[in-house]
Amino acid sequence: MSALAIRLDELTKRFAPDGPPAVDRLSLEVPGGSIVALIGPSGCGKTTTLRMVNRLIEPTSGTIALGDVDVTHRPVTELRRDIGYVIQQVGLFPHRTVAQNIATVPRTLGWPSARISDRIAELATLVGLDESMLDRYPDELSGGQQQRVGVARALAADPPVLLMDEPFGAVDPIVRARLQDELLGLQERLRKTIVLVTHDIDEALKLADRIALLNIGGVLEQYATPDELLRSPANAFVEQFVGEDRGVKRLALSAVRQLPFEQGPVVPIEADPATARAAMAENRSAWLGVVERGVFAGWVQGEQVQDGTRLADLPRYPPAGRVTPSSTLRNAMEVIMNSNTSVAVIDDGGAFGGVVTLEAIRAELGLSGADPETGAPV
Amino acid sequence: MSVTTQDRNPIIRWDYVVDQSDDILAALGQHLELTLISVAVGLAVSAPLAALALRYRWTTSAITGFTGFLYTLPSVALFALLVPVFGLSRVSTVIPLASYTLLILVTNIIAGFRSVPDSVLDAADGMGLTPARRVLSVQLPLALPSIITGLRIATVSTVGLLTVAAIIGQGGLGRLILDGLRRAFWTPMTVGALLSILLALVLDVLILWAGRAATPWARKAAS
Amino acid sequence: MGAEGRVVNRVATQAAVPRDVTLWEWLSDPETWTGPTGIWSSLGETVLLAGIVVVVATVAAVPLAAWLAHYRKGEIGVTWMVTLSRAVPTFAIAGLLVPVSLVNGWGFEPWPIFIALLLLALPPIYLNTYTAVRGVSSGSVDAARAMGFSERRILVDVELALATTLIFAGVRVSAVQVVATEPIRAFLGGDGMGRYVRDGLGQNNDTLVVGGALLIATLAAVTGLAFGLLERTALPYGVRRLKASSTV
Repeated sequence: MSALAIRLDELTKRFAPDGPPAVDRLSLEVPGGSIVALIGPSGCGKTTTLRMVNRLIEPTSGTIALGDVDVTHRPVTELRRDIGYVIQQVGLFPHRTVAQNIATVPRTLGWPSARISDRIAELATLVGLDESMLDRYPDELSGGQQQRVGVARALAADPPVLLMDEPFGAVDPIVRARLQDELLGLQERLRKTIVLVTHDIDEALKLADRIALLNIGGVLEQYATPDELLRSPANAFVEQFVGEDRGVKRLALSAVRQLPFEQGPVVPIEADPATARAAMAENRSAWLGVVERGVFAGWVQGEQVQDGTRLADLPRYPPAGRVTPSSTLRNAMEVIMNSNTSVAVIDDGGAFGGVVTLEAIRAELGLSGADPETGAPV
Repeated sequence: MSVTTQDRNPIIRWDYVVDQSDDILAALGQHLELTLISVAVGLAVSAPLAALALRYRWTTSAITGFTGFLYTLPSVALFALLVPVFGLSRVSTVIPLASYTLLILVTNIIAGFRSVPDSVLDAADGMGLTPARRVLSVQLPLALPSIITGLRIATVSTVGLLTVAAIIGQGGLGRLILDGLRRAFWTPMTVGALLSILLALVLDVLILWAGRAATPWARKAAS
Repeated sequence: MGAEGRVVNRVATQAAVPRDVTLWEWLSDPETWTGPTGIWSSLGETVLLAGIVVVVATVAAVPLAAWLAHYRKGEIGVTWMVTLSRAVPTFAIAGLLVPVSLVNGWGFEPWPIFIALLLLALPPIYLNTYTAVRGVSSGSVDAARAMGFSERRILVDVELALATTLIFAGVRVSAVQVVATEPIRAFLGGDGMGRYVRDGLGQNNDTLVVGGALLIATLAAVTGLAFGLLERTALPYGVRRLKASSTV
């Protein structure tokens, strides 16, 4: 099934007829095939909104449309079989095996058993579950494995839409990071329309194509891409929610490969001292990097480069860290901070891929648009 | 002397009740007496058993299992088995009834004592209370609500089970029931049954009130 | 002479056993087992009544308790059941109902003993069902709802399935209680396994009394074991392996 867009239109929910609204005239559109994060403080109605999409909660007024179809126009049990739902506690059926859990919706839809077994095997590979786990019971699995089963179960009938409510909240940070990466990988292949509720801004920044930041009472404060949110927070609330380290957070959004190639204070090992010294001067660096047969071979102390010395004879120091083209600018900055040379070497599949300098990072962020209010680029 | 016509044998004949009030009260009195004795014996046996379980945690399972087993023994069978040994006597009545109360009393005494927060015990020790005083003035009062509940349940069920003891001639109000049955005269049956239910209710409320009086701080807690 | 006549002529249905017969002799005599007052016959009467009581109690209590627990209603019913379970004086209630039954022309049996035993049988089944269904993890129920299960399917496929172990335990407790208490029937104008104790007391015959008591106790124990065995074999593996009180 190709991805459907989800459109919320003046969506309102009041739990008490004369009380304050939990969600107040929320309007936004989730583009098909994208991940949108709903985030905000407790009481902002993010979970309520999510649960209105599959009508676990019925809206008081306003509409929700999946593609072109208003969700209230379909019988609710049928609607829900077209929407995958993943929750924090996972909610696996303890009395059924992993395979039986995953097979739940396909069985309801009447798929033939052969098709179901194939689908289960396919999903197991997709979410990273070992085949031996299929016949186990949920309580025999770790938290991370259970959540993988939860995702597999939600995807079993290949729904176009996936709703996730703090799906990785119950596992430890290491497992959480891995599951987040796997979700991104999955999305690259499946291109589902995903709405993700989270209270973790870093998770939202990492996973979402667009972020909807809600305030108490379901008021939409800003709906933007992660970069826009960090670069231009719409108001004080957004600014505060996103955190004071917006700049550093933005670094995590860009990859090293986005930077233009820079040679930096690096020369081939056969180069003569004069060329070497010129390179160091140009880059205002006290260190010299040497490359041997296209591979970075280490740093040499600048003051040891005298006339008549051969670079190959000088003692070499390994770099403090290496970054790859896919590393984030944040990783690169970590390495720069930790090295004496103030420069990070890029390792492009073994070969020397240039360097990353602080100036380059600043320029990259500045080039994305300086905020007129704050003046200088971040 | 039991030939009666239908309209002289309704469910309850009040003139008979008034007439035989002495006998009825005697039965009631006997019932009350045996109930109190059985519960008292049950309590006397339960207290040390509970103390044992509280002191040596690993015995809890065995003690609960044993008292639970006693509880499942059919009452008719238990009364009957004791007859050849102790005859048609009060002993044959009290032993089974007391046995049936053990489970609930032991369970509730243990629960009551275990519900005392460690911090309270700590404070008591810290103030230099001797173990005996600590039990009497700290633990027991705090365990009381649970014990009272156990006593209520034990008493109410003993009143009910005692009626069965009429089969071995000791049943108090149960005797009225069997009497009426034997004579095909319904009034004593009805009176016996109703009074036993009433007695259970009254004792339940009395113990509840006594418990409330003894634990003024727990009044707000659910009974 | 109608009902009264039956009581006065009670002696005729008693087993006549000489007083010097030992327990072993009595049990090994085939005549003890056969015939209208034989053990098999009495066993049949007891099992029949107890069986009907437990079945009726289960059919009445399980759907009601499950439905109420699913919709989170009827908390007060739980309190009633708990009170009922503590305070039912079965013998007194049966005794009370005998005159009522006779005066209305319904005879000694089965209504008084049946109703009294039914009141005894309901609480364990009701309470266990309610607690178990109520205790099913909300995560599983939420996920099921989100997968398009109807409320009825959630109740049956998820909640009741997970509650099965506890419900079975409740039925077992109930059955044992009913079987253990049913002998009072023999003292209220009926027969069943309690008749030997009754006859033994009446005839001052220790053999009958002890034998009758042992038979009753054995039957109660066997009932408990039989249900235990049933729990171990009849339930699906996925349900059985979950401890009765735990939910994921």
